[in-house]
Amino acid sequence: MSRRFALTSVAILSLACLGTLISVAAATPQKATTKKPAPPASKSTPASAAAQTSVTVNGVADIDPAKAFGSKNAPVVMEIFSDFQCPACRQLFTTTTQRVMDNYVNNNKIYIVHRDFPLPMHAYSRVAASYARAAAHIGKGDAVVQALFQNQEKWEMSGDVKGTVAAVLTPAEMKKVQTLVEGKTLEPLIDKDKQLGMAVPVNQTPTSIIHTRDGQSYPVVGYVSYDVLKTLLDQLTK
Amino acid sequence: MMQSAPFNYRRIVIWIGRLVLAFIFIYAGLAKMIRWDMHPRPPLGIARSLFALQIDSYQMLPPWASIQVARWLPWAEIALGLLLLLGWRLKIWSTLVTLIVGGFFFAVLRAYLLHLDINCGCFAKPEPLNGLTVLRDGALFLLAIIMTVFAFQEARRPHAWAVPAPERPS
Repeated sequence: MSRRFALTSVAILSLACLGTLISVAAATPQKATTKKPAPPASKSTPASAAAQTSVTVNGVADIDPAKAFGSKNAPVVMEIFSDFQCPACRQLFTTTTQRVMDNYVNNNKIYIVHRDFPLPMHAYSRVAASYARAAAHIGKGDAVVQALFQNQEKWEMSGDVKGTVAAVLTPAEMKKVQTLVEGKTLEPLIDKDKQLGMAVPVNQTPTSIIHTRDGQSYPVVGYVSYDVLKTLLDQLTK
Repeated sequence: MMQSAPFNYRRIVIWIGRLVLAFIFIYAGLAKMIRWDMHPRPPLGIARSLFALQIDSYQMLPPWASIQVARWLPWAEIALGLLLLLGWRLKIWSTLVTLIVGGFFFAVLRAYLLHLDINCGCFAKPEPLNGLTVLRDGALFLLAIIMTVFAFQEARRPHAWAVPAPERPS
């Protein structure tokens, strides 16, 4: 009897392991980040004039208006902490966030705030965040963020963040962006976002925090599909 | 037919399995609906949506299935936990519990091997999925298998305290 039990247990466990291996093999694994020597860390300057323009919406403070979209009177504020080099952040941005923008932000139901949370394990995410922030401050944030996420695999291999950004801007715009990046005037804003994320605490990217008008906050961790997120957003924006 | 002793080691393992798994299932089901970790506690609909998001983050099921699983799984966990405690039709319910725990173990192990940076969602509260989560679910799966196999073995033997079956006239 005990032999039969042992055989049954081994068979069930083997089947479970086999199923798991097949599933893992069938799923598309997230690409491992190619480790490259990190660019020199940027020194943050004291809070500049740009940092003083931050706003507070629905109790959510330190919002950089250049990185936020929608009506400030929206019933829900959605903060998204993301890293330009993280594959799940790319997936969230290119699928879910775009549809949230179309269906909720453009209808004044949600005020969306993009927070930079560059992870130290990613060599170029801080540089990408600096370029995206600078582009947002000259009104070209959307194009640059899209270019960075859509070409993530290319620039994380080559490290050519600047070239990726330059491809979607005119030479004059690129010059302005480059001046802002080299001047490091916007670095305190990225540092502030990072501090806010660590206070949440954000343990992984992407992490979205959904704030309602009554002060309740709902964290949503990792990539989530739009259809499932919609069930929550519909209840909160009623 | 051999009689089963009232307190043999198989019965003790079955009891331990029933109590442990019943407590875990009832607690997990309630935690997903009540969300003790949140202040103020969200309404049931929002708690359900938050759980659906946790299921969705595993990237195993289509959105509609994540929504349906989030709707029914907490109730099923509570019901199965209570049925395990009652011990009624143990073979059926322990098999079902084993399949569900096996499903959890499979999902957690897959997410771990794929390096998905997500929360486990096991007890609703934010709990990053790591090696310990996989070990815990693996241990529970093993316990469920042993309990189920023993339940089937014990069912073949009449209990020592059971009323003897009436003798058939020859």
